[in-house]
Amino acid sequence: MKVLIDPIAGKSAEIIETLMSSSDMVDDPALQFKLRLCIEEVVENIVNYAYKEGDGYIEVGTELKGDSLYITFRDSGVPFNPLEKADPDITLSAEKREVGGLGIFLCKQLMDRMEYEYRDGNNMLTMIKKVS
Amino acid sequence: MNVTINREENRFNVVLQGRLDTTNADQFQKDIQPLMEGDQPEITLDCTDMEYTSSQGLRMFLMLQKSVNARGGRMTMTGMKPQVKEVFDITGFSNIIRII
Repeated sequence: MKVLIDPIAGKSAEIIETLMSSSDMVDDPALQFKLRLCIEEVVENIVNYAYKEGDGYIEVGTELKGDSLYITFRDSGVPFNPLEKADPDITLSAEKREVGGLGIFLCKQLMDRMEYEYRDGNNMLTMIKKVS
Repeated sequence: MNVTINREENRFNVVLQGRLDTTNADQFQKDIQPLMEGDQPEITLDCTDMEYTSSQGLRMFLMLQKSVNARGGRMTMTGMKPQVKEVFDITGFSNIIRII
């Protein structure tokens, strides 16, 4: 499945549901919970931060390859590689922990693999999770 | 996310129901405002019916825990569903928030 949504301002919920209702989506509720969480984190990042001026598109996709589900996101916003972001130090006390920076970290922990590429003016992020 | 707060002096029994995500994090922040005031609060968050929390929700719980610590209080989360608990575990929040 591949769907282009343009423009994207205020459409987080629609984009998330588009992916969750894909025929490639898994039935297992526990796995669905994790996938939804990761999808939401990525979609919110793109909708809120990719297009600093004006608005733009997002193309989302799902594909089953072998035993894994590939979820893809493409936008032409500000170049941003979320995988370069430093992980939060999860051993710190509440006082020292910073509020925020958890979304991408959660994705990295819950997915098996994440890939990022900037190509032809597009951010291309892929999340990969074994589903069977 | 539905927030019900029962207060008895400095003791707050709070029932959280539903999903906490970007769409309602701002409202949630307003709803928990009563918990951000007063000395030595004893707060119990009943999470039995909390279905989901995104990183936006985690931010709120960390903010609340910081505020409670600064006021010499105590906060406990109870009844958390396993899939929600896992999110608290992998982000290290289980070490800074008391979860029973």
